[in-house]
Amino acid sequence: MSSEDTLKNLKRINEKYQMFHAMTDDVSEDGSKFLFSAKDNLTSKDMETCAGSRILEGYHPVFDATSIEKLRNDGGKLIGKTNMDEFGFGTFSTNSGFEIPRNPYDLERACGGSSGGSACAASVIDDHISLGVSTGGSICCPASFCGVYGIAPTYGRVSRYGLIDYGNSLDKIGVLSQKATDLKKYMEIIAGKDDKDPTSMVQPEFRTAYRKTKSVAIPKEGIEGLSKEVESTFKDAVEQLKSMGIDVDYVDMPSLKYAMPAYYILATSEASTNLARYVGMRYGHQEGDHSLKFDDYFTAVRSKYFGDEAKRRILLGTYARMAGFGGRHYAKAREVRQVVINDYKRVLETHDAVLAPTMPFTAPKFSDISKMSALESYKADYLTVPANIAGTPHLSVPCGYDSEGMPVGMQFVADHWNEDVLFSIAEDWEKQFELRRPEVSI
Amino acid sequence: MKIGLECHVQLPTKSKMFCSCPTKDCEYPNTYVCPTCLGMPGSRPVLNKQVLVYGIMIAKMLNCEINDTTWFARKTYFYPDMSKSVQITQYDNPIGERGVYYLDGKKPIRITRIHVEEDPGSTKRTADLTSLVDYNRSGVPLAEIVTEPDIATPAEARQFLTQMIGDIKHLLQIPEDMEWEVKCDCNISVGTERVEIKNVSGLKNAEKALHSEMVRQIAMIKAKKKILRETRRYDPDRDVTISMRVKEFEDQYGYIDEPDLGIYHIRDLADSIKISESPQNKVLRLSSQYKIDSKMAKQLVNTSMDLADLFEEVAKDFDTANAIKWVGGPISANWRVMEERDCEIDLSKLKGFIKDFVYGKITDTQCAIEIKSYMTGVDASSVQDESAGLETLINEFLDKNPKIVTDYQKNDKAANQVIGYVMKQTGGKYSSAEVVETAKKLIEARF
Repeated sequence: MSSEDTLKNLKRINEKYQMFHAMTDDVSEDGSKFLFSAKDNLTSKDMETCAGSRILEGYHPVFDATSIEKLRNDGGKLIGKTNMDEFGFGTFSTNSGFEIPRNPYDLERACGGSSGGSACAASVIDDHISLGVSTGGSICCPASFCGVYGIAPTYGRVSRYGLIDYGNSLDKIGVLSQKATDLKKYMEIIAGKDDKDPTSMVQPEFRTAYRKTKSVAIPKEGIEGLSKEVESTFKDAVEQLKSMGIDVDYVDMPSLKYAMPAYYILATSEASTNLARYVGMRYGHQEGDHSLKFDDYFTAVRSKYFGDEAKRRILLGTYARMAGFGGRHYAKAREVRQVVINDYKRVLETHDAVLAPTMPFTAPKFSDISKMSALESYKADYLTVPANIAGTPHLSVPCGYDSEGMPVGMQFVADHWNEDVLFSIAEDWEKQFELRRPEVSI
Repeated sequence: MKIGLECHVQLPTKSKMFCSCPTKDCEYPNTYVCPTCLGMPGSRPVLNKQVLVYGIMIAKMLNCEINDTTWFARKTYFYPDMSKSVQITQYDNPIGERGVYYLDGKKPIRITRIHVEEDPGSTKRTADLTSLVDYNRSGVPLAEIVTEPDIATPAEARQFLTQMIGDIKHLLQIPEDMEWEVKCDCNISVGTERVEIKNVSGLKNAEKALHSEMVRQIAMIKAKKKILRETRRYDPDRDVTISMRVKEFEDQYGYIDEPDLGIYHIRDLADSIKISESPQNKVLRLSSQYKIDSKMAKQLVNTSMDLADLFEEVAKDFDTANAIKWVGGPISANWRVMEERDCEIDLSKLKGFIKDFVYGKITDTQCAIEIKSYMTGVDASSVQDESAGLETLINEFLDKNPKIVTDYQKNDKAANQVIGYVMKQTGGKYSSAEVVETAKKLIEARF
């Protein structure tokens, strides 16, 4: 499909896959060099931005996120804002106040989350790149489920100005695409210092030169609890890596299993303060009884427009921050984060990257997701959370397909600021991997 | 009785604490605002480093220990004028801790901490019971100074605030005429339970609020009623405190570190900042170094720091006696007139007159006339006539009322009678400072 066809058929594509919450009305190419989409938690001047939440319904930001602005300045045309779990709270993009994106390989299955719409768009649309955001695995998980490449860079590599916050110390903006080479090309555009986001100001130079990968380490903790199909597909992929001349070692990383509880404490603590601003006063829904006292009015709006998962995470985060618990939970979680970082640093002293499957299973059916408890879906993130809590860059590549044709992904983790290592591995992998495109008929 | 204060003062930066909006007052509401100070989704704070500089200056003035590293925290609470429902403030590792500030150079008041934080917007209630919010103030930088409960009385609280605010104004070079609101949370316990009076504006109201609450607590204790640990507010019109809510403890704000801002290493910055001597310290030093009455030292400093500096220069160039005689005398008396004249004054000229006197080139009287003439711009012969007229008037009055001279030896307030008489007779022809100066000179001449 050419760019022209994509633009012409955008509405029909979306009817089938529901990847976009908002789409451009302007279907002319208008001299643009490339088309891109962005997760709906990145602010855009010309398109409604809701971050998957009804509380922001009708919100038109007055400024572009730096990452969107940079792509536009480079000749990109923003064609749509992608559906996601509300504020990023989920693993399947099903916790949304709006449309739920459908897996391009099987419409009865989820795209993963929380950047599910972005992975779906990258998978379905030719020559498309989509901006995603990862807090605990929200780029690699949907990349894996939708059979595309996805990178979450080092924390602080891409300016978060214009990113609607989930967990500020964890959020990272990255890129999803069918092509590994595109990840490098577009990351190079959006990376860099931005004085509007102080946490982007300490980064070293963004390197892109090829570096031959010598060895990867597979943590034993990273190959536990896998579905049979993921296990065997991953095994084959490892053999393939070996045949490419890469040494594969199995190592112990005992800290990885503590990453999950620490992550949920940090992420929900920060989220509960970030979501405090949504009170139905300055943006989004303003309806409600204006004769109420202000706190009753706030409560009424928040009760009505936040989804269940947002409410659950506000409660969890507020509890973790509460009197007497702050020291026990929040401070401890930060210590765990440091232990996880140290564990990665230790292994990465002697290896180029750490490797494991991205998700323990392939994209589940919506009917199965609805039976999962909150805890079960939280647990599904155990492979992606450690690199996210450590702030280390990580990249998911499609590495095979299960018996039903659903994609399996594997995730490489490099040391802080070493995105170049990940690009090199991914490009080597891409050269010998046969990507099976989903059948897209509209 | 124990009183402790949490005092908020605005820091005089040009732009807000976390964005580039101006901090000046605006006629129209919600004008100096941007995505950051409105708390719009996706915006984030960028620290105005001058806030740290001012914070460190105040910490130094209050003799605080300055932390090597400092960072910010989120205090979460819901209120319409708080645009993010989160205030960026400091919790762990504020700029300064464990300071001490001397009241009148004698009584130590311990300073718990000084931290910086952003101001919320402001809420205006209208006649029809609706409220309007203006975010022009949202994000204006404040310093919060917290004292230990070392203050003994409401009057002492006011004295402390007056002195400290004067020193801070001088330190941060806040113009005398600038409207500069000081807000206090006043904590007072007459018995064992502490009550906080929230958000009292102005020094006078702080004293009144504390006094009113003190009276209430005493009455409660006398009536054997239990005093609740609570937050109250002060109604200046009715002069009463009113219960707002049972006190929330700091822990209930669920502080976490602000993840959008980093850790600031301020040791080198703090070392590089030298603060000028505070007015209060200058008073103390002048009176001890030059062995002058603390009243005179205070008068010099309060009139102008430049006047106090001139005193020191004259004392150094000549001697203390001449500094007291001339700077403490006619120069001080004519200072205000000189300032109001709004023209370039060369202070070295004044030193020249004193030098001529010291070297015997001019007499005592001539020197006084030259000084006054130069400072007021009135020619010397008129000055001479005027001061002769003034001296005659005073001497006549003292002749008729010799008791003033003996009374004055016990209490110098006796001179007020002369001053009142002269002012009434001449209808403001002479400045009060000049009348005081001349009256004292003539009374003392009669001892």
